[in-house]
Parts: sequence; C-alpha cells; structure tokens
Amino acid sequence: MKRGLLAAFCVLLLGLAVYPMAGTGYGIRFMLQLFMWIALAQSWNLISGLTGYVSFGHIAFFGMGAYTAGILIAKLGWPWLLASLAGGVGAMVLALVIGWPCLRLKGPYFAISMLGLNEVLRVAVSYFEGLTGGGSGLSLPALYASVAIYYSMGLVALAVTALTYVIVTSRFGLRLMTIREDEIAAEAMGINTFRYKLYAFLLSAVGPGIVGGLAARDQSYIEPISVFPLIMTITMIVMVLFGGKGTIWGPVLGAVLLFTLQEMIWARFIYVHQLLFGAIIVTVVLFMPRGILGVLQQKYNLPRTI
Amino acid sequence: MPPILEVDGVLKRFGGVTAVDRVSLSLEARHIYGLIGPNGSGKTTLFNCITGVEQRDEGEIRFKGRRIDGLKPHQIFHEGIGRTFQIIRVFPELTALENLLVVTTTDYAQARARAEELLRFVKLEGLAGEYAGNLSYGQQKLVEFIRVLMTDPELILLDEPAAGVNRTLLNDLLDAVRQLRDRGKTVLLVEHDMKVVMGLCETVFVLDHGEKLAEGPPGVIQTDERVIEAYFGR
Amino acid sequence: MLGQVVISGLLAGALYAMVALGLGLIFGVMRVLNVSHGPLLMLGAYTTFWLFQWLGLNPYLSLLVSMPLLFLVGMALQRLFVRRVVDAPELSSLLLTFGVSIAIVNLAQLAFTADLRSVEYLTGSFVWGPFAFSKSRVIACAFAIVITTGAFLFLRRTRLGKAVRAVSQSREVAQVCGIDVGRIHMLAFGIGSALAAAGGSLVAVMVAIQPEMGQVYTFKSFLVIVLGGAGNYPGALLGGLLLGLIEQLSSLFLTTQVNEAVAYILLVLVLLVRPTGLLKGRA
Repeated sequence: MKRGLLAAFCVLLLGLAVYPMAGTGYGIRFMLQLFMWIALAQSWNLISGLTGYVSFGHIAFFGMGAYTAGILIAKLGWPWLLASLAGGVGAMVLALVIGWPCLRLKGPYFAISMLGLNEVLRVAVSYFEGLTGGGSGLSLPALYASVAIYYSMGLVALAVTALTYVIVTSRFGLRLMTIREDEIAAEAMGINTFRYKLYAFLLSAVGPGIVGGLAARDQSYIEPISVFPLIMTITMIVMVLFGGKGTIWGPVLGAVLLFTLQEMIWARFIYVHQLLFGAIIVTVVLFMPRGILGVLQQKYNLPRTI
Repeated sequence: MPPILEVDGVLKRFGGVTAVDRVSLSLEARHIYGLIGPNGSGKTTLFNCITGVEQRDEGEIRFKGRRIDGLKPHQIFHEGIGRTFQIIRVFPELTALENLLVVTTTDYAQARARAEELLRFVKLEGLAGEYAGNLSYGQQKLVEFIRVLMTDPELILLDEPAAGVNRTLLNDLLDAVRQLRDRGKTVLLVEHDMKVVMGLCETVFVLDHGEKLAEGPPGVIQTDERVIEAYFGR
Repeated sequence: MLGQVVISGLLAGALYAMVALGLGLIFGVMRVLNVSHGPLLMLGAYTTFWLFQWLGLNPYLSLLVSMPLLFLVGMALQRLFVRRVVDAPELSSLLLTFGVSIAIVNLAQLAFTADLRSVEYLTGSFVWGPFAFSKSRVIACAFAIVITTGAFLFLRRTRLGKAVRAVSQSREVAQVCGIDVGRIHMLAFGIGSALAAAGGSLVAVMVAIQPEMGQVYTFKSFLVIVLGGAGNYPGALLGGLLLGLIEQLSSLFLTTQVNEAVAYILLVLVLLVRPTGLLKGRA
C-alpha cells in the first residue's frame, strides 16, 4: 500500500515537472498560484495547526517577503531568486521581532495581537515611502519568467510539505503538539513552550516570505493592498481548516480543492466568494473541527503522517 | 541531611481570598508525605506555587537549599521536581508512548528505552501505540504517573493519585510509590482518600482555610481534635 | 491646546468604553472573544443610515431601533453558533466568530455595496471658552454615558444583571444557584451586540459608513478590555477613556498614519507587562 502511494506520488511529481512543456500560459499560472497557496497553507499549519496558536496576521510575512525582494530587485538589481530567498529571511526577522513579545501571551491573547499586525505593516509601508513606494506601489523591471517561477513555487511547496513531515514525525513536532493539547502540562514536563512556539513561528514565516518574493517578481508590481489583504489570511485559514489542521496533507488537500473552486467559480463574484469562505469556516469549526483529513484519520484510525 | 524541600511562610492571594496563608513545611528525602484538608483548604494552590504554575505573593520555597520560587514550571521541572494533576492532563492526541517521549530528555534512544521500561512497570506496554485519549481513566492516570518518572525526579508531587482508580490499580500505584521511596525519592501527595493516606504516608500535613493546622504521623493526626473539627464541622 | 486634546480624548473614550463594554460582557460571561463585534457595530451604523435615508429618522432616535434589532441578532448568533463552542478550546470560538465576522461583512458588501455612505445630520461645533468640540462628538459622548450607565445599573441593580455577573465569575456556582446559564449567555451576547450597535449608530453621523468600518473597533475594543482587565466591567470604562486619551495625545506628536499603529503597539506592550490588564482582571 505504502509503496503504491509512493510510486503514485513520484509519478505526480514527474508529471508536474514536465507540465510546463505542454501546458498553456493560463495553466502554468494556475499551477504556479496553486503551489503558492500550498506553501502558504502548509506554513500556516506549522504554527496554527501544530501548536494551536492561531496566527491571524500571517499574511504579513508574505507581504514582508514581497517588499524585501521587491526592494532588492528594483533598487539594488538583485537576481530575483536570491531576492526571494532574502524575502524569506526578512520574513523570519519580522517573525522574531513580533514573536518575541507576542508568543509569551496565551493563545487567545496572541491571536488578538496578531489581528492588528496587518494594519501596522501597512502603516510602516506608507511611512517608509521612499523605499517602498508607499501607496502608489513598487514596480519591478519587467520580466517574463512564469516557467521559472512555476518551478520555484513548486519547490517551496514541496519543501514546506517535506518540512512538515519531518517535524510531525519528530520529537520536536510532538512537543509542539503538546502545546496545543495542554500547555500547562507541557510546561510541567519541562518543555519551554515559549522557545518551541518561537521556533515554529519562525519556520512558519519562511515559506510565505519566499513565496511573497516570488509573487512580487511574478506580478512585477507590489502595492500594500495586494500584499497585505485580509482575504489572503482568510484563504490560508480556510484551506487548512477545511483540509485538516495539524495534518501533513490536509493543507495540500484544502489548497487544491478550494483554490480550484475559487478559480473556476467564485473569483468572479468576490463578495460571494468571501462570504462562502466565512461560511465554510463557521461550518468547519462547528461540525468538522479537524477538517476532512482529521475526520478520516479518526474514523479509520490512520497514522499521524497523513 | 538538609531537607529536600522547604516551604517557608508562603502566602498566596486571589483577589480578596487568601488561598495559602503563611504555610511552612519541611520535607526530608526518602519519605512519603501526605497533604490533606477539606475542600478549598489550599492544597492544590500550594502545589501550584511549588511547581511554578502560580507565583506566590510572599514567602520562599527552597529545593535542595536553592530558591525556586519565581522560576517557571519548565525550569522547576529541570531542577528535579515532577508533578501530576488533579484533573488528568495526558496529551490525548498523542499515544501513550509519545506522552512519555515528549518529556524533555536528552538522548532519544535512552528516552525510548526508559519509556518502554516504565510502561512495563505499570503493565501498559500493550497500549504503547494507543492514543492516550482513548485509554480508560485509570490507564490515563497511570500514564500520567509514569510520565512524571521519565526523568527520575527527586521530588514527586502527586495530586489526588487515588481519585477514580479501582482497588487493584490503586494497590499497584501505592506499591510503586513505596518503591520510589525505597530508591531515595521524596513523594508528597494530596489525597482525600483517608485509607490511602493513613496506609501510605509517613508524615501528614493538614491544611484548613489556607493555614497549616497540624503535622505528624498518620496515627496522631487521626486523633487530633482540630483536624476532626476541620473535617466534620464546628 | 492640551485641554482641548484631553477633553477630546475623553469624549472619544466614552464611546470606546461603551462599545468595549459590549465585548467585555461577552468575554466575561462566556470567555468568547467576539471577533464579529466590529461588524455588529457596522450593522448598527447601516441601520441608522437606512432609517435616515428612507424615513428621515433622526439618527439618535434610530438607537431605539438599532439597539433592539442587534440585540436580537446577537441572541440569534449565540443560540445558533456560539453556543456550540463555549466549552471547546478558546481558539474554536475565536475562529468561529472570525468566520461569522467575514460572513457579516460580505453580506453587507453584497447588500449595501462598498460605496461610502454618510449621515449628514449634525455639523458644527459647540464652543466652550477656548475649546471647540464637534457637536456630534459631544452628543455621542452624552448618549454613550447614558447607555453605559444604564448597562451598569442593569448589572448592579437588577436580578438578571446580578445573574450575569454571577455567571461571569463562576459558571458552575451560578448553575448550582439555579441560574439558567444558557439564557444568560444569550442575554449577554444580545446586550453586547446592542452596545456595539449603539456605537455604530452614534458614529454613523461622524464617519464614513462602509462594510469594513467595524474592524478597527473590534481591535480597539480588545485593546480596551486588555487595558481594563478581562472580566472587569468597570475596568472597561477606564480602559476606554484611557485609549481615547492616548490616541488624542499621540496625535499631537505623531502623524495620523503612525497613530493607528499606536493602538497596536500599546496592546502588545500592555499584554507583555500585565497580561491580566492594567486593573485586576481574570486572564
């Protein structure tokens, strides 16, 4: 059974690898964005799914990565791949700055503190207008690199999923989960919950940071509204909740299902689309808090590596 | 031999209520102590102060001569104090084995070996791969008990270990506690079940309304008038 | 100059206090962080707008409509959704109310469109010695004080109010005393929503009305609760006034944009230094 799944997975990867040669421009962009969402959802899962500390402002790391990379590309002429990686580093630094004070707070208070994060960053962007272009946005020199970005995004999605796998099957991951289960007991067992939360938080920021940089390159233009929108945080959250938070493949499943639906049906009716996401969140929390994979896991007693 | 734990005039207030009112205790190594008192007498609060879950307002707590008041729970754990909780706090979505493995230890192989040994100790080795949330109440209690022992702490605080446990299991538990004492550990347990306390503990402290009422061997405490009054009313 | 700023701060603070009290009630009674508090305020504002638009109803009279209306909406939300997660980990209720808030905001977008609306009712200022305060601000403050006083009288003097306070302190004990905790939860959510609606109606004459207007009030209400101490109802008043003051004072030194960040940084600072709030609260 396991060997069969592994083989199927390899075939899938191979298919994805050669797809750009056969795919249409639209198809490549679709997949590229899907990879981006997988990376985002998977990253959100690392902090919120595993430790239970809901990060409402996670898109801030995406925006941070976008601006870091954007500035490096536009003002300093960095090659975009390197700039994107630097975006990941920038996002990690932001995570450290935010996480250091905020992760000391208990769950709900942490969530509150993250709610305002977006606003602060938007303010910061306008404040440093010279660097960021403020409200009018930042333009990058034009470049058509969809295929290269396709592969980059794909690699990040793969990397974050692999990282999740490694974490979930390690003692580090177990300890993260104890924070979610019972933080007081975790502390009593000698787990320095603050430090573990911080590590998870930092790791969860890298993916969005890099992906933000890649997205900036892809769009050749960044403005505050496009990189700090609440809808992106909402989307990340819905994807993970729907697919199954705390699982490895849940975020992937959620991303694939919801992004596909989004592109095909809802993107044209933006408010209906957001409304539906809100409704999905409510429904999942009430009836299916562990998401699709979580429910399957419980029902069929599947291992945690799902 | 200096006392292993000294609670020195500890006071803890919650709003207008003084939960622990200048309590002083002294625990020697290789000894089993009991902490009893009517509901609301401050027993769990005292536990919480010792283990850092609550911060005392006044007084000092010294472990092996070093002050530990003010330390965070995970730091106190590393000093060598382990505790269980009144309401079971196993990690339900982790297996029994994983519940033991998360405890901070250094070597993974060593930790695994020790975890399996402890599971055998309480005859739960067959359930090692079962999610702790699916275990019975008594089994969960045992898991919580051996989890405390993973790092071989010198002082072990047990919060109502007998609650809800059937007789057979209880005897195994009590034997385990005696074995710990024989190995040089110190055990302090909060307990309501008087038979357990009288049969197991060598010294008993009695709390009432946050104050230490009496201290002594079980036989003496049983006949102490103040203790009887505290339990059965004035 | 300073006097003007201080009094402006207190005027704004009274409004914050009233709205935050609503949030505080819900949190105190149910331990639920109602992320949809802001959107409820927004609905109150729209109620006032539409009544003004269609019937020419005096915005301040519309309080008589918006408050009961949102009271019922709040009770319905509690009964249908929030009730099921009151016992779940706190993150569940957080995510739930987050989902509800998205739903409410987008329903408003669909129903009312994102066009900015306003209620042109009261302009000009009251002049008092060297000070000048916009009329709508002063009247809003007056109403806020009246409504908040009413809320406190309810909590202190009526049996139902005492039941609410009892449940805030200990659900188990309240149950043992024969209090129908489920009903109290609904009531608290209803009152909380009504207070948010009152805030919405009062600001409707002062700010641009659009579906997303409530978000900032959600956040500020959280901030006030944290400042005043969770579960500490009088604390919410102080917290509100404090926030109003700090905002006005910092506007003297900082640009308006940075001013928005002040609330946020303040929140983080307070949460770090005194997680239970500046006054005694229950974490």
